[in-house]
Amino acid sequence: MQKAPELLRRISMLFHRNRFQSDLEEEMRLHLDLREQEQREAGLSRQAAHQAAYRRFGNPTAIKEKSQTTWGWNWLEDFFEDIRYGFRSMLRSPALTAVALLSLALGIGANTAIFSFLDAVMLRSLPVRDPSQLVLLGEGDDYGVTDSYGSTTLYSYPFYRQMQQENAVFSDVAAIYSTEHRVHGTIDGRDDVEEMHVHLVSGTYFPTLGVQPVLGRALTDEDDNTEGDHPVVVISYAWWKRALAGDPAVLNRKIKLGTTIFNIVGVAPPEFFGTKVGEAPDIWVPLSMMNSVPPGFNGYKDDFYQSMHLIGRLRPGVSREQAVSNVNVLYQQIIRAFPDANLNPRNIADLNKAHVVLTPMATGLSSLRHRFSDPLKILMGVTTLVLLIACANIANLLLARSTARVREFAVRQALGAGRMRLVRQLLTEGFLLAAVGGALGVGLAAFADRLLLRMISGGADTIPLDVSINLRLLIFNLAVTVATALLFGIVPALRGTRIELTEALKDGRGPSSGTSRSPIGKVLIIAQVAISLVLTVGAILFIRSLVNLTNVDTGFSRESVLRLEVDSNVTGLKSDDPRMIAMFQQIEQRVSALPGVKAASFASFVYGQGSWNTEIRVPAMEAREDINVKHNVIGNDYFAALQIPLLAGRTFGPQDTSTSHRVAIISESMAKDLFPPGINPIGHHYYTTMDPEPNADVEVVGIVKDVKFRNLQEPQQYIDYIPNPQHPWGYGNLAVRYNGDFTTISNEVQQAIHGIDQTMPISRITTLDQEVARSITNQRLVAQLSAFFGLLAVFLSCIGIYGLMSYIVSRRTNEIGIRIAIGASRADVRWLVMREIVLLVAIGTAVGIPVTLAGSRLVANMLFGMSGVSWISLVGSVAGLLLVGLIAGFLPAQRASRVDPMVALRYE
Amino acid sequence: MNKDEIPPGTLYLLILRTLARQGELHGFEIADSIQCTSEDVLQVEEGSLYPALQRMLIKGWVTAKWGTTAGNRRARYYKLTASGRKQLALEISQFQRVIGAITRVIQTA
Repeated sequence: MQKAPELLRRISMLFHRNRFQSDLEEEMRLHLDLREQEQREAGLSRQAAHQAAYRRFGNPTAIKEKSQTTWGWNWLEDFFEDIRYGFRSMLRSPALTAVALLSLALGIGANTAIFSFLDAVMLRSLPVRDPSQLVLLGEGDDYGVTDSYGSTTLYSYPFYRQMQQENAVFSDVAAIYSTEHRVHGTIDGRDDVEEMHVHLVSGTYFPTLGVQPVLGRALTDEDDNTEGDHPVVVISYAWWKRALAGDPAVLNRKIKLGTTIFNIVGVAPPEFFGTKVGEAPDIWVPLSMMNSVPPGFNGYKDDFYQSMHLIGRLRPGVSREQAVSNVNVLYQQIIRAFPDANLNPRNIADLNKAHVVLTPMATGLSSLRHRFSDPLKILMGVTTLVLLIACANIANLLLARSTARVREFAVRQALGAGRMRLVRQLLTEGFLLAAVGGALGVGLAAFADRLLLRMISGGADTIPLDVSINLRLLIFNLAVTVATALLFGIVPALRGTRIELTEALKDGRGPSSGTSRSPIGKVLIIAQVAISLVLTVGAILFIRSLVNLTNVDTGFSRESVLRLEVDSNVTGLKSDDPRMIAMFQQIEQRVSALPGVKAASFASFVYGQGSWNTEIRVPAMEAREDINVKHNVIGNDYFAALQIPLLAGRTFGPQDTSTSHRVAIISESMAKDLFPPGINPIGHHYYTTMDPEPNADVEVVGIVKDVKFRNLQEPQQYIDYIPNPQHPWGYGNLAVRYNGDFTTISNEVQQAIHGIDQTMPISRITTLDQEVARSITNQRLVAQLSAFFGLLAVFLSCIGIYGLMSYIVSRRTNEIGIRIAIGASRADVRWLVMREIVLLVAIGTAVGIPVTLAGSRLVANMLFGMSGVSWISLVGSVAGLLLVGLIAGFLPAQRASRVDPMVALRYE
Repeated sequence: MNKDEIPPGTLYLLILRTLARQGELHGFEIADSIQCTSEDVLQVEEGSLYPALQRMLIKGWVTAKWGTTAGNRRARYYKLTASGRKQLALEISQFQRVIGAITRVIQTA
């Protein structure tokens, strides 16, 4: 137990070491001088007096050291000594140091980078008060709107109100619109529109989360009490800085969304990005204003407009189980008591099945988590394996070097250094290496993070995700660094210092020396080969899966299609307004007439943009509850624009108007599976809804080829197409098939659109090809990264093989010399070394194959179009590893074959 | 001249006591004083005073300040602190307890 002042004195000594030392020296000198003087006065000769003084004093150096030891800092001094020494010994073998640092930096950097994504996407808590108290009703994986009974993820506003008022388990409840609105609005009545990310939330949102604004006030329940008369918004800190230049008078400024002018009443704190990871709204608007925010949904009072996630903050002392039972009781009561509840047997059955679970909300909602958690976990595993290989490599290199340093250690031990002291020094050197590697790794990770974020985002707009280096990451990095240092440092340190002193001090490299067999080194190589095999086969699997995905028949031709989005909300017209319908047709005609354009058409969904699906009813067929048909509202030239082949019947034309007979075009599979067999569906009628409502009756006029609708992996979908005038859709997706230069066409198309409406915002200009590519972003990410890491692993293993073989050859030089002297040919000697490599690689792959097979089962659900490992990829990988192993071992083998027996033998 | 090694652990006691008696002393004076007072019986390896003094500085039993000797040389003078006095009392009572016990063992027939 040390008292504080004592510690302070020790620390002050540490910082004034030089003065303390010189003081001590002066004091001791004085003592010796006085004693010597005394002896001379007693009559001794000068030399005798000097000797007597020293005799009585003792060994000044030892005493000085002992005095310093009392200050208790010698461990620190030893440490610095070791570090200095470590640096010197690192610089003495620059090639080894460079290789070690590079592999460490890559290994640690890759781990840190992937971990930063894992952290941001899956682990990090929301920056709100006490996030662990927050729970989400349901599992939160649905986004959009549903009117089905028994939904436990999406809820209506009236449901939220009742739940908020009647529950006994939450201190507060908030509703969050499940999707973000992208709205083109204006600031302060200026002319230029800009895109804003708007999030509709209940007035209780900020109070429930416990988020305090940095400026002004947060939204309150008052803002959300009555519909339509609370035009207030809270803006995000980032948007305040970006769009309003951090204006301190921001609270006087106004934003116009659609036709409504909103007052800015507050600015959220900088760290608050909302409640959904991977989205960062610019503006929060109370749900009471839902109808005023384009496209103007009308769900505030609709009991079954289920589009909101509900979150609650558990009251202190309320258990999750209590909350679940309370919520479920209320759930049934509230929904069944809605006056417009349609309690038919089917809906009752759905309600009876419904059970609301409460999901912890501490880390927020995220669709990214769903999409990327598997890839991230796999990549984390891959990078860990790479780091292990790097560790094995460095362990091998250090082992080889520590054997080369046997003489040095022997001398030091002979001079009295304890073994533990040497171990400590070697470990310090290891830590030093790891620390420098770790620091480089952080730098690399910062760079890799940005690269990865761009790869993940898969397009021009990067996902707003904070993956910058933070404290948690640094701690992770530090832990990894220390772990690696221990992993690769401890074996060489223990091995290197276990020395037969007399043997080691004798000059020579006797074959008797146990280390020349280096079993540990070989085990490490075998492990490296095994891990490399796992990683290469994994990379091959992911690449083949990606190739399979790219070769999927989409049903449409993805090349030479320009895609863009317009925001028709700025016109202020409703989608069923005849002027709106006419405008879309006008744009289509104007664009189609451009030179180089073959066809142009709007559609509610082109590819990978969600869906609108319902059950349908085909007369004379049994109702199929399990089948949802996807509906796509399109312009007349849609099939020409996407080159979807028409198999029978006709496409839509000018004859299909809002007043003409209602028609539909159906997909091949739908015709085959959902219509009575043996009957030509053309001319056949069906209902686009479950219930045979007269206004949902359509006549089939055409059949088109099946297409991929939402992604490339999906099985065959049932799709029908409806002409826009008959089901007006305020859509904005334009697809243009063109010939020639993309940029030129893109400019002309934009001019043509602006020729019709000057103010029409145009965004997300891209190609269909890019959108298809974007839909397999994470497959590509995993394939590219696993290929990179697989190559890295093989490369590191090669260095390992090269290092070990060079070392073994140098240790066996005189054995080889003897072999050559008694008649072994050069080829024999070369084979001697190569045989060893073949053996190591063979054992390594034998270990690796079962691991690979087990591992491939883990990733099976991420593979597309294949079932597990094929023998070809396995055999290919093994052959590849053997080949690069032999290449890596060739130089040492060549060196061995060139051993001059005379030199080798004379050396003994 | 037959000299005896000091019993282990008593060096602090000797230094503390010497300083208590004589006020401010430098290292050489402490060594001389111990030897003198013990009538040349106790021999201290003089150098070992210094690690002991360093430790006492850390513990706060003594303070040191630089002054000049009679021979006009710079010397570090040590002085007892309050906590040093307390330590002295403690060490004396400890020492006496041990000596008393040893004496009893010796004298018991």
